[in-house]
Amino acid sequence: MKRNAFLIPRSTVITILMCLTLSGCAFNSILINYPSQIAPYKQQINSPTPSLNLDDITNEIDSNDGLLYAQESGRLAQINGNFEQSKHYYQQAMEAYKTFDDKAKISVTDIGSKASSLLLNDNAIPYRGPGYERIMLHQYQALNYLFSGDSQGAMVELRRSNELQSSEQARYQKSQKSVQAMANGTIDAEVNKLGQSAGTVTSSFLNAYSYYTTGLLYELLGQPNDAYIDYRKAAQISPNNKYLQQDLVRLAKQLSMPQYDDFSRRWGDATLAKAGQGQVVMLIERGFVPEKQSLTVPFTIDGNWQTVSLATYQPSMMNSAPVSIQGLGSVLKAETIANIDALAINALKEDLPAALVRQALRVYAKAEMAQSVRSESKRRNDQIDAGAIVMQIFNVITEQADRRSWLTLPNQAQIARQYADPGEYEISLGNTQKAKIEIKSDKTTLIWVIDTGNRTRFYSIIL
Amino acid sequence: MKPMKLIFVLAAVLGLAACQSKVEYGDATEVETVNENFGSTDLQAIAAKMVDSMMTFPPVVVMTQNNRPIIFVDKIKNKTSEHIDTESVTDSISNKLLRSGKFRFIDMTKVDAVRKQLDYQNNAGMVDPTTAIKFGRQIGAQFMLYGNLSSIVKQDGSTKDVYYKMTMRLMDLETGLIEWSDEKEIRKTKSKSFLGM
Repeated sequence: MKRNAFLIPRSTVITILMCLTLSGCAFNSILINYPSQIAPYKQQINSPTPSLNLDDITNEIDSNDGLLYAQESGRLAQINGNFEQSKHYYQQAMEAYKTFDDKAKISVTDIGSKASSLLLNDNAIPYRGPGYERIMLHQYQALNYLFSGDSQGAMVELRRSNELQSSEQARYQKSQKSVQAMANGTIDAEVNKLGQSAGTVTSSFLNAYSYYTTGLLYELLGQPNDAYIDYRKAAQISPNNKYLQQDLVRLAKQLSMPQYDDFSRRWGDATLAKAGQGQVVMLIERGFVPEKQSLTVPFTIDGNWQTVSLATYQPSMMNSAPVSIQGLGSVLKAETIANIDALAINALKEDLPAALVRQALRVYAKAEMAQSVRSESKRRNDQIDAGAIVMQIFNVITEQADRRSWLTLPNQAQIARQYADPGEYEISLGNTQKAKIEIKSDKTTLIWVIDTGNRTRFYSIIL
Repeated sequence: MKPMKLIFVLAAVLGLAACQSKVEYGDATEVETVNENFGSTDLQAIAAKMVDSMMTFPPVVVMTQNNRPIIFVDKIKNKTSEHIDTESVTDSISNKLLRSGKFRFIDMTKVDAVRKQLDYQNNAGMVDPTTAIKFGRQIGAQFMLYGNLSSIVKQDGSTKDVYYKMTMRLMDLETGLIEWSDEKEIRKTKSKSFLGM
């Protein structure tokens, strides 16, 4: 008799096992929250003495959430300057996205993972990043190709990124008027007047940094017309950035675009390089994107303990001020082009309704499971109701918020651009270590600065 | 009961065998539709069309009647959103043209290697000077073959449409005239399956 006390109905066990096998074998984030898995890597990359060991994280690329681990590994290698290695990991992430794209409308593995998410938690559903992460993947891959000297490969990634940007734009076009204005290509003065609110709405859906990077690379690789299109889109999202305004005026003049009069009236005439001068363009990435927090609420159903856990972001978002770049003659002040945290928060907001439905179903499923165990045990009054206790513990332990997101992305992106005489310079951001860069006449030096907090890395290439 | 058991075991063995991965040889010219990306069938279709078009173009036929024009192949610019080895496309085309016996080619990708070899023959002091090949005796190309490969990709829900266009041109280096030009279009549409893994 005593043995029976621990019996959980066999059908339940079989269902759980079925779901587990159908949705794959690796279950990394199901019980261990994702940010704590990535924290040591962030610490390694941020420490003043570099020591990066990616073995463990790259092993996870074969797992259910392989896409996410591939993105993280690629980004970590990239921050560390191993562009070839990073290219390889990003490639794997792109293949994972493609597998998702090619999946059948009704997929057995999808149903399996959805079903196990009902019994366990949302982490059982394989990770698929929000739109902006996928666009940034191609944007970063383009930079990888560029910094390893393959400009044609970089162009391919730019086009891919453009394709995704336009599909992402189409998604929001229906609801967002300001996005609509952008598709028409008019830099809407009205949007400017409406002030921050309208601007921030667009900027939390679409990433001006991605548009700017693709535009910049197009310009540097000799396609100013394509650059002009992307700069205009970036300016629509982030209308107050004065570097972007200058870029638009300059390109409108160079390409004799009809908008030139309008732009030069609004933002002043284009400043061009003096004979023999070179140009410095800086992309500055700061910090790490915030981690999702978990909000857990315990309650009881029919006397059985249960919890709900939802992912959320901490309300207080601190945005760092624009950096000052020293060493290029006068102090060059960067301007913010995009806040990645705003994009992340919006992506979570969008995901929330579906997550709440799954949450409600899960509460029901878990309550039923607990109920089925308890009613059977209850008949044996004199015994400890171990089955029900085990079930409740199982329910509480498995209830974990889905805290997965690409965590090695920067929190904020800033840009700066200046003409300078050819020669060697030592630049720094305020009190960071100095980096040597070279400027050649009639050439552009692209400097990519990644500031992770304790350590600032400078990568530069002359184009 | 025994035959039933046997059938069951056989079925299980067959089932397991089906899961085993295997390697097979296939026909290299077979139509390949693993996915919608640029593949071998596209490469072969482009090469076949271009060579065919060039060889049957009347002015080119006249041009190759009495002599074998010398061509150099500039690389094909990849303007698609895929990483495509365009050198392999030009290789296929130049191979076919060369095999026709009507053209001769200069391989610009090997200039450095040739220079190294000639340098060795003439300056290393290891080669009999009477047999060493002198610098400056190569023949210049009369024509340049070049092209663009572009694509338009559209996706909506479960349908993905990819359109490729390959344009190729033959330029007379002396006059700058385009002696021949043609394009090959390829369209591929992919629709997602309704049910699957």
